[in-house]
Amino acid sequence: MAASAIPMQRAGSFTPPGDLRSIWLIARRAALESLHDRTTQGASAIFSLLVPIILVLTMIRPQAMHTGSKADTALGLLMAVYLLVVGLLPTSNSISVASGLFAGEKEQGNLAPLLATPASNRAIFGGKVLGAVLPSLLYAVVAVSTYLLEIALFVGTGKLHLLPLGLSLAMLALVPIYAVFGAAVASLISSRVRTYQGAQTLASVVMFPLMAVLFGVAFAMQHWGIWWLGIAVLVLVGIDVLIVTLGAATWRREEVLARR
Amino acid sequence: MIEAKGLSRRFGEVVAVDNLSLRVPDGTILALLGPNGAGKTTTVRLLSGLLAPSGGEATVAGYDVRRDAAAVRAHIGLVTDVPGLHEQMTVPAYLDFFGSLYGLPNAMRARRIDELLTFFDLDTHRAERMVGFSKGMKQKVSLARALLHQPAALFLDEPTSGLDPLAARAVRELIVSMKHDSRSIILCTHDLDEAERLADQVAIVRQGRLVACDSPAALRAQGSPDSIVQVALAAPCPTALEVLSRIDGVLEPEAPSPLLLEYHVHRPLEVNPRVMEQLIAAGARIVSATCTTRTLEDIYADVMTSARSVDGADSGREMVVAAAGEGRRAG
Repeated sequence: MAASAIPMQRAGSFTPPGDLRSIWLIARRAALESLHDRTTQGASAIFSLLVPIILVLTMIRPQAMHTGSKADTALGLLMAVYLLVVGLLPTSNSISVASGLFAGEKEQGNLAPLLATPASNRAIFGGKVLGAVLPSLLYAVVAVSTYLLEIALFVGTGKLHLLPLGLSLAMLALVPIYAVFGAAVASLISSRVRTYQGAQTLASVVMFPLMAVLFGVAFAMQHWGIWWLGIAVLVLVGIDVLIVTLGAATWRREEVLARR
Repeated sequence: MIEAKGLSRRFGEVVAVDNLSLRVPDGTILALLGPNGAGKTTTVRLLSGLLAPSGGEATVAGYDVRRDAAAVRAHIGLVTDVPGLHEQMTVPAYLDFFGSLYGLPNAMRARRIDELLTFFDLDTHRAERMVGFSKGMKQKVSLARALLHQPAALFLDEPTSGLDPLAARAVRELIVSMKHDSRSIILCTHDLDEAERLADQVAIVRQGRLVACDSPAALRAQGSPDSIVQVALAAPCPTALEVLSRIDGVLEPEAPSPLLLEYHVHRPLEVNPRVMEQLIAAGARIVSATCTTRTLEDIYADVMTSARSVDGADSGREMVVAAAGEGRRAG
Protein backbone atom coordinates (compact mmCIF):
# COMPACT_ATOMS: atom_id res chain seq x y z
CA MET A 1 0.00 0.00 0.00
CA ALA A 2 1.68 3.23 -1.11
CA ALA A 3 0.22 6.67 -1.49
CA SER A 4 1.81 7.11 -4.90
CA ALA A 5 0.00 4.05 -6.22
CA ILE A 6 -3.38 5.74 -6.35
CA PRO A 7 -4.08 8.58 -8.74
CA MET A 8 -5.91 11.23 -6.77
CA GLN A 9 -6.56 13.88 -9.38
CA ARG A 10 -9.68 15.81 -8.65
CA ALA A 11 -12.46 14.69 -10.92
CA GLY A 12 -15.18 16.93 -12.15
CA SER A 13 -18.55 16.73 -10.47
CA PHE A 14 -20.43 13.59 -11.29
CA THR A 15 -24.13 13.73 -11.94
CA PRO A 16 -25.88 11.52 -9.41
CA PRO A 17 -28.58 9.26 -10.86
CA GLY A 18 -32.24 10.28 -10.79
CA ASP A 19 -34.66 9.11 -8.13
CA LEU A 20 -35.93 6.05 -10.02
CA ARG A 21 -32.44 4.77 -10.73
CA SER A 22 -31.39 5.42 -7.11
CA ILE A 23 -34.51 3.64 -5.84
CA TRP A 24 -33.64 0.63 -7.94
CA LEU A 25 -29.97 0.61 -6.84
CA ILE A 26 -30.90 0.84 -3.15
CA ALA A 27 -33.71 -1.72 -3.49
CA ARG A 28 -31.54 -4.21 -5.39
CA ARG A 29 -28.78 -4.04 -2.78
CA ALA A 30 -31.23 -4.46 0.12
CA ALA A 31 -33.06 -7.29 -1.64
CA LEU A 32 -29.87 -9.17 -2.43
CA GLU A 33 -28.69 -8.82 1.15
CA SER A 34 -32.00 -10.11 2.41
CA LEU A 35 -31.89 -13.04 -0.01
CA HIS A 36 -28.38 -13.92 1.20
CA ASP A 37 -29.35 -13.79 4.87
CA ARG A 38 -29.41 -17.31 6.32
CA THR A 39 -32.11 -16.59 8.94
CA THR A 40 -34.40 -15.12 6.31
CA GLN A 41 -33.67 -18.04 3.99
CA GLY A 42 -34.60 -20.54 6.73
CA ALA A 43 -37.83 -18.79 7.72
CA SER A 44 -38.81 -18.27 4.11
CA ALA A 45 -38.16 -21.91 3.24
CA ILE A 46 -40.51 -22.96 6.03
CA PHE A 47 -43.19 -20.48 4.93
CA SER A 48 -42.77 -21.13 1.21
CA LEU A 49 -42.36 -24.90 1.15
CA LEU A 50 -43.39 -26.51 4.41
CA VAL A 51 -46.49 -24.52 5.37
CA PRO A 52 -48.25 -25.06 1.99
CA ILE A 53 -47.76 -28.84 2.30
CA ILE A 54 -49.16 -28.86 5.84
CA LEU A 55 -52.17 -26.76 4.80
CA VAL A 56 -52.91 -28.89 1.78
CA LEU A 57 -52.64 -32.16 3.71
CA THR A 58 -54.48 -31.08 6.86
CA MET A 59 -57.09 -28.59 5.60
CA ILE A 60 -57.69 -28.90 1.86
CA ARG A 61 -57.42 -32.65 1.36
CA PRO A 62 -59.94 -33.63 4.09
CA GLN A 63 -62.45 -31.13 2.66
CA ALA A 64 -61.87 -32.58 -0.82
CA MET A 65 -63.08 -35.97 0.45
CA HIS A 66 -66.62 -34.58 0.66
CA THR A 67 -68.69 -34.77 -2.48
CA GLY A 68 -71.52 -32.71 -3.83
CA SER A 69 -71.91 -29.22 -5.22
CA LYS A 70 -72.06 -27.57 -1.78
CA ALA A 71 -68.87 -29.37 -0.79
CA ASP A 72 -67.19 -28.29 -4.05
CA THR A 73 -68.18 -24.66 -3.45
CA ALA A 74 -66.86 -24.83 0.11
CA LEU A 75 -63.63 -26.40 -1.14
CA GLY A 76 -63.21 -23.65 -3.75
CA LEU A 77 -63.71 -20.94 -1.13
CA LEU A 78 -61.37 -22.71 1.29
CA MET A 79 -58.64 -23.03 -1.35
CA ALA A 80 -59.03 -19.34 -2.25
CA VAL A 81 -58.80 -18.16 1.37
CA TYR A 82 -55.76 -20.32 2.02
CA LEU A 83 -54.24 -18.81 -1.11
CA LEU A 84 -54.15 -15.58 0.90
CA VAL A 85 -52.75 -17.30 4.00
CA VAL A 86 -50.01 -19.01 2.01
CA GLY A 87 -49.07 -15.77 0.26
CA LEU A 88 -49.17 -13.63 3.38
CA LEU A 89 -46.90 -15.70 5.59
CA PRO A 90 -43.70 -15.10 3.60
CA THR A 91 -44.58 -11.42 3.19
CA SER A 92 -44.64 -10.98 6.96
CA ASN A 93 -40.89 -11.18 6.54
CA SER A 94 -40.95 -7.85 4.72
CA ILE A 95 -42.09 -6.20 7.95
CA SER A 96 -39.18 -7.72 9.82
CA VAL A 97 -36.75 -6.66 7.09
CA ALA A 98 -38.22 -3.17 6.92
CA SER A 99 -37.97 -2.82 10.70
CA GLY A 100 -34.24 -3.32 10.41
CA LEU A 101 -33.81 -0.95 7.51
CA PHE A 102 -33.25 2.23 9.46
CA ALA A 103 -33.13 1.38 13.15
CA GLY A 104 -31.15 -1.84 12.61
CA GLU A 105 -28.71 -0.32 10.13
CA LYS A 106 -28.28 2.68 12.38
CA GLU A 107 -27.40 0.33 15.24
CA GLN A 108 -24.87 -1.45 13.05
CA GLY A 109 -23.42 1.81 11.77
CA ASN A 110 -24.02 1.09 8.07
CA LEU A 111 -26.77 3.63 7.55
CA ALA A 112 -24.62 6.77 7.69
CA PRO A 113 -22.61 5.99 4.52
CA LEU A 114 -25.85 5.66 2.53
CA LEU A 115 -27.29 8.82 4.05
CA ALA A 116 -24.05 10.61 3.11
CA THR A 117 -24.62 9.94 -0.60
CA PRO A 118 -26.38 12.45 -2.85
CA ALA A 119 -29.42 10.12 -3.13
CA SER A 120 -32.59 12.04 -2.24
CA ASN A 121 -34.75 11.30 0.80
CA ARG A 122 -37.46 10.00 -1.56
CA ALA A 123 -35.01 7.63 -3.25
CA ILE A 124 -33.69 6.26 0.03
CA PHE A 125 -37.15 5.68 1.50
CA GLY A 126 -38.56 4.26 -1.72
CA GLY A 127 -35.52 2.05 -2.27
CA LYS A 128 -35.65 0.71 1.26
CA VAL A 129 -39.36 -0.14 1.04
CA LEU A 130 -38.97 -1.78 -2.35
CA GLY A 131 -35.91 -3.65 -1.13
CA ALA A 132 -37.91 -5.08 1.76
CA VAL A 133 -40.88 -6.02 -0.42
CA LEU A 134 -39.12 -7.67 -3.37
CA PRO A 135 -37.64 -10.72 -1.58
CA SER A 136 -40.90 -11.28 0.28
CA LEU A 137 -42.87 -11.23 -2.94
CA LEU A 138 -40.42 -13.66 -4.48
CA TYR A 139 -40.95 -16.05 -1.58
CA ALA A 140 -44.71 -15.46 -1.81
CA VAL A 141 -44.65 -16.47 -5.49
CA VAL A 142 -42.75 -19.63 -4.52
CA ALA A 143 -45.24 -20.32 -1.71
CA VAL A 144 -48.33 -19.84 -3.90
CA SER A 145 -46.80 -21.96 -6.69
CA THR A 146 -45.94 -24.70 -4.17
CA TYR A 147 -49.48 -24.54 -2.75
CA LEU A 148 -51.15 -24.87 -6.15
CA LEU A 149 -48.74 -27.62 -7.21
CA GLU A 150 -49.41 -29.58 -4.04
CA ILE A 151 -53.16 -29.25 -4.48
CA ALA A 152 -52.69 -30.71 -7.96
CA LEU A 153 -50.49 -33.49 -6.58
CA PHE A 154 -52.31 -34.44 -3.38
CA VAL A 155 -55.91 -33.43 -4.10
CA GLY A 156 -56.14 -33.64 -7.86
CA THR A 157 -55.68 -31.33 -10.82
CA GLY A 158 -59.40 -31.23 -11.40
CA LYS A 159 -60.01 -29.58 -8.02
CA LEU A 160 -58.04 -26.50 -9.11
CA HIS A 161 -60.96 -25.63 -11.38
CA LEU A 162 -63.07 -25.12 -8.26
CA LEU A 163 -61.08 -22.02 -7.34
CA PRO A 164 -63.40 -19.00 -7.87
CA LEU A 165 -61.48 -16.80 -10.32
CA GLY A 166 -62.46 -13.36 -9.03
CA LEU A 167 -61.96 -14.20 -5.38
CA SER A 168 -58.66 -15.98 -6.07
CA LEU A 169 -57.30 -13.01 -7.99
CA ALA A 170 -58.44 -10.69 -5.20
CA MET A 171 -56.67 -12.89 -2.63
CA LEU A 172 -53.50 -12.84 -4.72
CA ALA A 173 -53.74 -9.07 -5.06
CA LEU A 174 -54.00 -8.69 -1.27
CA VAL A 175 -50.55 -10.28 -0.86
CA PRO A 176 -48.45 -7.47 -2.46
CA ILE A 177 -50.88 -4.88 -1.09
CA TYR A 178 -50.21 -6.10 2.44
CA ALA A 179 -46.46 -6.48 1.82
CA VAL A 180 -46.09 -2.92 0.54
CA PHE A 181 -48.28 -1.52 3.30
CA GLY A 182 -46.42 -3.45 6.00
CA ALA A 183 -43.00 -2.51 4.65
CA ALA A 184 -43.93 1.17 4.36
CA VAL A 185 -45.39 1.32 7.87
CA ALA A 186 -42.46 -0.64 9.34
CA SER A 187 -39.98 1.62 7.51
CA LEU A 188 -41.63 4.72 8.87
CA ILE A 189 -41.61 3.27 12.37
CA SER A 190 -38.03 2.09 11.93
CA SER A 191 -36.86 5.57 11.00
CA ARG A 192 -38.50 7.05 14.07
CA VAL A 193 -37.25 4.74 16.80
CA ARG A 194 -33.78 4.12 18.13
CA THR A 195 -33.43 0.34 18.13
CA TYR A 196 -34.23 -2.56 15.83
CA GLN A 197 -35.98 -4.31 18.71
CA GLY A 198 -38.16 -1.27 19.29
CA ALA A 199 -38.98 -1.02 15.60
CA GLN A 200 -40.00 -4.68 15.39
CA THR A 201 -42.14 -4.52 18.50
CA LEU A 202 -43.93 -1.37 17.42
CA ALA A 203 -44.38 -2.63 13.85
CA SER A 204 -45.90 -5.87 15.16
CA VAL A 205 -48.28 -3.96 17.43
CA VAL A 206 -49.44 -1.89 14.46
CA MET A 207 -49.51 -4.67 11.87
CA PHE A 208 -51.29 -7.46 13.74
CA PRO A 209 -54.61 -5.59 14.01
CA LEU A 210 -54.25 -4.63 10.37
CA MET A 211 -53.70 -8.27 9.45
CA ALA A 212 -56.87 -9.13 11.35
CA VAL A 213 -58.74 -6.45 9.42
CA LEU A 214 -57.31 -7.81 6.18
CA PHE A 215 -58.53 -11.32 6.96
CA GLY A 216 -61.91 -9.88 7.87
CA VAL A 217 -62.04 -8.18 4.48
CA ALA A 218 -60.89 -11.39 2.80
CA PHE A 219 -63.67 -13.41 4.42
CA ALA A 220 -66.22 -10.77 3.52
CA MET A 221 -64.97 -10.85 -0.07
CA GLN A 222 -66.31 -14.40 -0.43
CA HIS A 223 -69.76 -12.90 -0.76
CA TRP A 224 -68.87 -10.02 -3.04
CA GLY A 225 -69.32 -9.92 -6.77
CA ILE A 226 -66.51 -9.40 -9.22
CA TRP A 227 -67.07 -5.62 -9.41
CA TRP A 228 -66.98 -5.12 -5.67
CA LEU A 229 -63.86 -7.24 -5.48
CA GLY A 230 -62.22 -5.07 -8.12
CA ILE A 231 -63.24 -1.87 -6.35
CA ALA A 232 -62.00 -3.20 -3.00
CA VAL A 233 -58.62 -4.09 -4.49
CA LEU A 234 -58.34 -0.67 -6.13
CA VAL A 235 -59.16 1.07 -2.84
CA LEU A 236 -56.49 -0.97 -1.04
CA VAL A 237 -53.93 -0.21 -3.78
CA GLY A 238 -54.84 3.46 -3.38
CA ILE A 239 -54.19 3.24 0.37
CA ASP A 240 -50.79 1.67 -0.40
CA VAL A 241 -49.89 4.42 -2.86
CA LEU A 242 -51.01 7.02 -0.34
CA ILE A 243 -48.94 5.64 2.52
CA VAL A 244 -45.81 5.15 0.40
CA THR A 245 -46.16 8.64 -1.09
CA LEU A 246 -46.74 10.19 2.32
CA GLY A 247 -43.83 8.25 3.74
CA ALA A 248 -41.50 9.30 0.93
CA ALA A 249 -42.62 12.90 1.19
CA THR A 250 -42.24 13.18 4.95
CA TRP A 251 -39.22 10.99 5.61
CA ARG A 252 -36.10 13.01 6.41
CA ARG A 253 -32.62 11.56 6.69
CA GLU A 254 -31.76 14.33 9.18
CA GLU A 255 -34.39 12.98 11.56
CA VAL A 256 -33.03 9.44 11.45
CA LEU A 257 -29.65 10.38 12.84
CA ALA A 258 -31.15 12.97 15.15
CA ARG A 259 -32.80 10.18 17.19
CA ARG A 260 -30.54 9.63 20.20
CA MET B 1 -12.93 24.75 1.71
CA ILE B 2 -14.95 23.90 4.78
CA GLU B 3 -16.28 26.83 6.75
CA ALA B 4 -18.64 27.01 9.71
CA LYS B 5 -19.88 30.08 11.50
CA GLY B 6 -21.72 29.84 14.79
CA LEU B 7 -22.83 26.29 14.01
CA SER B 8 -25.12 24.81 16.64
CA ARG B 9 -27.14 21.66 17.08
CA ARG B 10 -29.54 20.80 19.84
CA PHE B 11 -31.14 17.45 20.62
CA GLY B 12 -34.03 18.49 22.82
CA GLU B 13 -32.43 20.08 25.86
CA VAL B 14 -28.97 18.76 25.02
CA VAL B 15 -26.66 21.13 23.16
CA ALA B 16 -24.40 18.85 21.14
CA VAL B 17 -22.65 21.59 19.16
CA ASP B 18 -22.59 25.11 20.50
CA ASN B 19 -21.72 28.15 18.37
CA LEU B 20 -18.84 26.43 16.64
CA SER B 21 -16.82 28.30 14.04
CA LEU B 22 -13.97 26.93 12.03
CA ARG B 23 -12.35 27.28 8.66
CA VAL B 24 -10.49 24.59 6.75
CA PRO B 25 -9.02 26.02 3.55
CA ASP B 26 -8.29 23.81 0.54
CA GLY B 27 -5.13 21.81 1.04
CA THR B 28 -5.46 21.82 4.81
CA ILE B 29 -6.04 19.16 7.42
CA LEU B 30 -7.89 20.05 10.60
CA ALA B 31 -7.74 17.55 13.43
CA LEU B 32 -10.85 17.59 15.57
CA LEU B 33 -9.96 16.46 19.07
CA GLY B 34 -12.07 15.99 22.14
CA PRO B 35 -13.30 13.41 24.61
CA ASN B 36 -16.10 10.99 23.72
CA GLY B 37 -19.40 12.84 23.53
CA ALA B 38 -17.69 16.20 22.96
CA GLY B 39 -19.62 16.78 19.73
CA LYS B 40 -17.05 15.75 17.12
CA THR B 41 -19.32 13.27 15.35
CA THR B 42 -22.26 15.67 15.43
CA THR B 43 -20.04 18.39 13.96
CA VAL B 44 -19.01 16.07 11.14
CA ARG B 45 -22.64 15.09 10.52
CA LEU B 46 -23.67 18.74 10.38
CA LEU B 47 -20.90 19.58 7.93
CA SER B 48 -21.59 16.55 5.76
CA GLY B 49 -25.28 17.29 5.32
CA LEU B 50 -26.49 14.41 7.45
CA LEU B 51 -27.96 16.57 10.18
CA ALA B 52 -29.62 19.93 9.89
CA PRO B 53 -28.07 22.64 12.08
CA SER B 54 -30.22 24.25 14.76
CA GLY B 55 -28.34 27.48 14.23
CA GLY B 56 -25.44 29.06 12.39
CA GLU B 57 -24.27 28.36 8.88
CA ALA B 58 -21.70 26.28 7.09
CA THR B 59 -20.43 25.75 3.57
CA VAL B 60 -18.51 22.78 2.20
CA ALA B 61 -16.83 22.92 -1.21
CA GLY B 62 -18.80 26.10 -1.82
CA TYR B 63 -22.20 24.59 -1.05
CA ASP B 64 -24.42 25.58 1.84
CA VAL B 65 -25.17 22.65 4.16
CA ARG B 66 -28.75 23.83 4.67
CA ARG B 67 -29.78 24.85 1.17
CA ASP B 68 -27.58 22.53 -0.96
CA ALA B 69 -27.23 19.51 1.28
CA ALA B 70 -27.39 17.11 -1.69
CA ALA B 71 -24.57 18.98 -3.46
CA VAL B 72 -22.56 18.94 -0.23
CA ARG B 73 -23.01 15.18 0.01
CA ALA B 74 -21.96 14.73 -3.61
CA HIS B 75 -18.67 16.50 -2.89
CA ILE B 76 -17.63 14.91 0.37
CA GLY B 77 -16.18 11.59 1.42
CA LEU B 78 -17.10 10.28 4.84
CA VAL B 79 -15.39 7.65 6.94
CA THR B 80 -17.49 7.01 10.02
CA ASP B 81 -16.23 5.84 13.40
CA VAL B 82 -17.33 2.28 12.57
CA PRO B 83 -16.73 0.89 9.05
CA GLY B 84 -20.49 0.37 8.56
CA LEU B 85 -20.33 -2.05 5.66
CA HIS B 86 -22.97 -4.32 4.16
CA GLU B 87 -20.98 -7.37 5.06
CA GLN B 88 -22.83 -9.90 2.92
CA MET B 89 -21.49 -8.12 -0.16
CA THR B 90 -18.10 -8.45 -1.83
CA VAL B 91 -15.87 -5.38 -1.92
CA PRO B 92 -16.26 -4.70 -5.68
CA ALA B 93 -20.06 -5.03 -5.43
CA TYR B 94 -20.13 -2.74 -2.41
CA LEU B 95 -17.96 -0.08 -4.04
CA ASP B 96 -19.92 -0.43 -7.28
CA PHE B 97 -23.14 0.27 -5.37
CA PHE B 98 -21.78 3.48 -3.87
CA GLY B 99 -20.05 4.47 -7.12
CA SER B 100 -23.40 4.16 -8.88
CA LEU B 101 -25.13 6.32 -6.28
CA TYR B 102 -22.44 8.99 -6.74
CA GLY B 103 -23.04 8.83 -10.49
CA LEU B 104 -19.64 7.60 -11.59
CA PRO B 105 -19.81 6.44 -15.21
CA ASN B 106 -19.42 2.67 -15.67
CA ALA B 107 -15.89 2.67 -17.09
CA MET B 108 -14.56 5.14 -14.54
CA ARG B 109 -16.29 3.26 -11.73
CA ALA B 110 -14.63 0.00 -12.73
CA ARG B 111 -11.24 1.71 -13.03
CA ARG B 112 -11.54 3.47 -9.68
CA ILE B 113 -12.57 0.23 -7.96
CA ASP B 114 -9.54 -1.55 -9.43
CA GLU B 115 -7.22 1.28 -8.35
CA LEU B 116 -8.57 1.36 -4.84
CA LEU B 117 -8.52 -2.42 -4.42
CA THR B 118 -4.89 -2.45 -5.52
CA PHE B 119 -3.97 0.49 -3.32
CA PHE B 120 -5.54 -1.02 -0.23
CA ASP B 121 -4.16 -4.53 -0.90
CA LEU B 122 -7.66 -5.91 -1.24
CA ASP B 123 -7.16 -7.31 -4.73
CA THR B 124 -6.88 -10.89 -3.54
CA HIS B 125 -10.13 -10.59 -1.56
CA ARG B 126 -12.30 -9.52 -4.50
CA ALA B 127 -14.53 -12.57 -4.42
CA GLU B 128 -14.91 -12.78 -0.65
CA ARG B 129 -17.83 -11.46 1.32
CA MET B 130 -16.79 -8.82 3.80
CA VAL B 131 -18.37 -10.65 6.74
CA GLY B 132 -15.09 -12.53 7.28
CA PHE B 133 -12.85 -9.47 7.03
CA SER B 134 -10.66 -8.23 9.88
CA LYS B 135 -11.32 -4.80 11.38
CA GLY B 136 -8.39 -3.37 9.45
CA MET B 137 -9.67 -4.73 6.14
CA LYS B 138 -13.11 -3.29 6.83
CA GLN B 139 -11.52 0.05 7.61
CA LYS B 140 -9.73 -0.07 4.26
CA VAL B 141 -13.02 -0.72 2.47
CA SER B 142 -14.57 2.19 4.32
CA LEU B 143 -11.71 4.44 3.19
CA ALA B 144 -12.01 3.17 -0.37
CA ARG B 145 -15.72 4.03 -0.33
CA ALA B 146 -14.95 7.57 0.85
CA LEU B 147 -12.34 8.11 -1.88
CA LEU B 148 -14.26 6.49 -4.72
CA HIS B 149 -15.70 9.70 -6.18
CA GLN B 150 -12.60 11.82 -5.52
CA PRO B 151 -14.35 14.24 -3.17
CA ALA B 152 -13.27 17.82 -2.58
CA ALA B 153 -13.68 17.51 1.18
CA LEU B 154 -13.08 14.55 3.42
CA PHE B 155 -14.37 13.78 6.89
CA LEU B 156 -12.35 11.02 8.44
CA ASP B 157 -13.39 9.65 11.82
CA GLU B 158 -10.54 7.55 13.22
CA PRO B 159 -9.33 6.50 9.75
CA THR B 160 -6.36 4.47 10.99
CA SER B 161 -8.25 2.73 13.77
CA GLY B 162 -7.70 -1.01 13.56
CA LEU B 163 -5.03 -0.83 10.88
CA ASP B 164 -1.64 -2.48 11.26
CA PRO B 165 1.30 -0.04 11.52
CA LEU B 166 2.28 -0.27 7.85
CA ALA B 167 -1.28 0.13 6.61
CA ALA B 168 -1.80 3.02 9.03
CA ARG B 169 1.33 4.70 7.72
CA ALA B 170 0.17 4.27 4.13
CA VAL B 171 -3.23 5.77 5.00
CA ARG B 172 -1.51 8.73 6.66
CA GLU B 173 0.61 9.21 3.53
CA LEU B 174 -2.56 9.02 1.47
CA ILE B 175 -4.22 11.67 3.65
CA VAL B 176 -1.22 13.95 3.22
CA SER B 177 -1.21 13.35 -0.55
CA MET B 178 -4.90 14.30 -0.69
CA LYS B 179 -4.13 17.43 1.27
CA HIS B 180 -1.45 18.31 -1.29
CA ASP B 181 -4.09 17.81 -3.94
CA SER B 182 -5.99 20.78 -2.45
CA ARG B 183 -8.59 18.82 -0.59
CA SER B 184 -10.00 20.05 2.72
CA ILE B 185 -9.83 17.36 5.35
CA ILE B 186 -11.33 17.09 8.81
CA LEU B 187 -9.77 14.32 10.82
CA CYS B 188 -11.42 13.17 14.06
CA THR B 189 -8.95 11.23 16.12
CA HIS B 190 -8.00 10.27 19.63
CA ASP B 191 -4.45 9.64 18.43
CA LEU B 192 -2.78 12.92 19.38
CA ASP B 193 0.50 11.89 17.81
CA GLU B 194 -1.30 11.30 14.51
CA ALA B 195 -3.01 14.69 14.83
CA GLU B 196 0.30 16.40 15.51
CA ARG B 197 1.96 14.73 12.55
CA LEU B 198 -0.81 15.30 10.01
CA ALA B 199 -2.77 18.36 10.98
CA ASP B 200 -2.17 21.94 9.96
CA GLN B 201 -4.72 23.00 12.52
CA VAL B 202 -5.94 21.35 15.67
CA ALA B 203 -9.41 22.10 17.01
CA ILE B 204 -10.21 20.92 20.51
CA VAL B 205 -13.89 20.49 21.26
CA ARG B 206 -15.43 20.07 24.68
CA GLN B 207 -19.15 19.82 25.42
CA GLY B 208 -19.89 20.99 21.90
CA ARG B 209 -17.76 24.09 22.17
CA LEU B 210 -14.51 24.89 20.49
CA VAL B 211 -12.06 25.50 23.30
CA ALA B 212 -8.92 25.83 21.17
CA CYS B 213 -8.08 26.01 17.49
CA ASP B 214 -4.66 26.68 16.09
CA SER B 215 -1.65 25.05 14.52
CA PRO B 216 -0.05 22.40 16.75
CA ALA B 217 3.06 24.56 17.14
CA ALA B 218 1.08 27.67 18.03
CA LEU B 219 -0.98 25.70 20.52
CA ARG B 220 2.16 24.47 22.16
CA ALA B 221 3.46 28.01 22.31
CA GLN B 222 0.17 29.28 23.76
CA GLY B 223 0.32 26.94 26.74
CA SER B 224 3.84 27.34 28.01
CA PRO B 225 6.89 28.12 25.88
CA ASP B 226 9.18 26.14 28.14
CA SER B 227 11.27 23.18 27.30
CA ILE B 228 12.48 21.18 30.26
CA VAL B 229 16.13 20.15 30.26
CA GLN B 230 17.46 17.35 32.42
CA VAL B 231 21.19 16.85 32.79
CA ALA B 232 22.40 13.57 34.27
CA LEU B 233 25.80 13.63 35.96
CA ALA B 234 28.29 10.81 36.54
CA ALA B 235 29.30 12.29 39.91
CA PRO B 236 27.95 15.08 42.14
CA CYS B 237 29.10 18.58 41.17
CA PRO B 238 28.64 20.98 44.14
CA THR B 239 28.88 24.18 42.05
CA ALA B 240 26.61 23.05 39.19
CA LEU B 241 23.43 24.66 40.52
CA GLU B 242 25.23 27.96 41.12
CA VAL B 243 26.64 27.85 37.58
CA LEU B 244 23.19 27.22 36.14
CA SER B 245 21.59 30.08 38.05
CA ARG B 246 24.16 32.53 36.62
CA ILE B 247 23.44 31.66 32.98
CA ASP B 248 21.08 34.05 31.20
CA GLY B 249 18.02 32.21 29.87
CA VAL B 250 18.08 29.35 32.38
CA LEU B 251 14.84 29.32 34.35
CA GLU B 252 13.98 27.57 37.61
CA PRO B 253 17.21 25.58 37.95
CA GLU B 254 17.09 22.80 40.52
CA ALA B 255 18.80 19.58 41.47
CA PRO B 256 16.19 16.90 42.18
CA SER B 257 19.03 14.57 43.15
CA PRO B 258 22.85 14.91 43.49
CA LEU B 259 23.24 13.33 40.03
CA LEU B 260 20.48 15.20 38.24
CA LEU B 261 20.03 18.83 37.26
CA GLU B 262 16.87 20.30 35.81
CA TYR B 263 15.94 23.67 34.38
CA HIS B 264 13.40 25.31 32.07
CA VAL B 265 14.38 27.23 28.98
CA HIS B 266 12.55 29.33 26.36
CA ARG B 267 15.30 29.21 23.71
CA PRO B 268 17.00 25.83 23.95
CA LEU B 269 18.98 26.25 20.72
CA GLU B 270 20.69 29.30 22.12
CA VAL B 271 20.96 28.52 25.81
CA ASN B 272 21.71 24.79 26.02
CA PRO B 273 25.16 24.86 24.32
CA ARG B 274 26.26 27.56 26.79
CA VAL B 275 24.94 25.53 29.70
CA MET B 276 26.91 22.46 28.61
CA GLU B 277 30.11 24.46 28.09
CA GLN B 278 29.92 26.10 31.51
CA LEU B 279 28.98 22.94 33.35
CA ILE B 280 31.94 21.11 31.83
CA ALA B 281 34.18 24.09 32.70
CA ALA B 282 32.90 23.81 36.29
CA GLY B 283 34.03 20.18 36.38
CA ALA B 284 30.67 18.50 35.84
CA ARG B 285 30.92 15.06 34.18
CA ILE B 286 27.83 14.95 31.98
CA VAL B 287 26.35 11.56 31.15
CA SER B 288 23.38 12.80 29.13
CA ALA B 289 21.20 15.85 28.49
CA THR B 290 17.55 15.62 27.54
CA CYS B 291 15.48 18.53 26.25
CA THR B 292 11.74 17.80 26.35
CA THR B 293 9.22 19.96 24.56
CA ARG B 294 5.54 19.91 25.51
CA THR B 295 3.55 17.58 23.34
CA LEU B 296 0.09 18.04 21.90
CA GLU B 297 -1.05 15.63 24.60
CA ASP B 298 0.17 18.05 27.28
CA ILE B 299 -1.61 20.91 25.53
CA TYR B 300 -4.78 18.84 25.17
CA ALA B 301 -4.72 17.99 28.88
CA ASP B 302 -4.13 21.65 29.78
CA VAL B 303 -6.93 22.87 27.53
CA MET B 304 -9.34 20.31 28.91
CA THR B 305 -8.45 21.19 32.49
CA SER B 306 -8.74 24.93 31.94
CA ALA B 307 -11.98 24.49 29.97
CA ARG B 308 -13.46 22.68 32.94
CA SER B 309 -12.52 25.55 35.25
CA VAL B 310 -14.10 28.23 33.07
CA ASP B 311 -17.24 26.28 32.15
CA GLY B 312 -20.29 28.42 32.29
CA ALA B 313 -18.39 31.67 31.94
CA ASP B 314 -17.65 31.27 28.27
CA SER B 315 -20.35 31.11 25.63
CA GLY B 316 -18.24 29.73 22.82
CA ARG B 317 -15.39 31.22 20.97
CA GLU B 318 -14.42 31.74 17.43
CA MET B 319 -10.81 31.08 16.79
CA VAL B 320 -8.99 31.48 13.57
CA VAL B 321 -5.83 29.90 12.37
CA ALA B 322 -2.78 31.68 13.66
CA ALA B 323 0.52 31.77 11.90
CA ALA B 324 2.28 28.54 12.59
CA GLY B 325 5.13 28.98 15.02
CA GLU B 326 8.23 26.90 14.89
CA GLY B 327 7.55 23.57 16.54
CA ARG B 328 9.85 22.13 19.08
CA ARG B 329 10.32 18.46 19.59
CA ALA B 330 11.84 16.27 22.17
CA GLY B 331 15.54 15.87 21.61
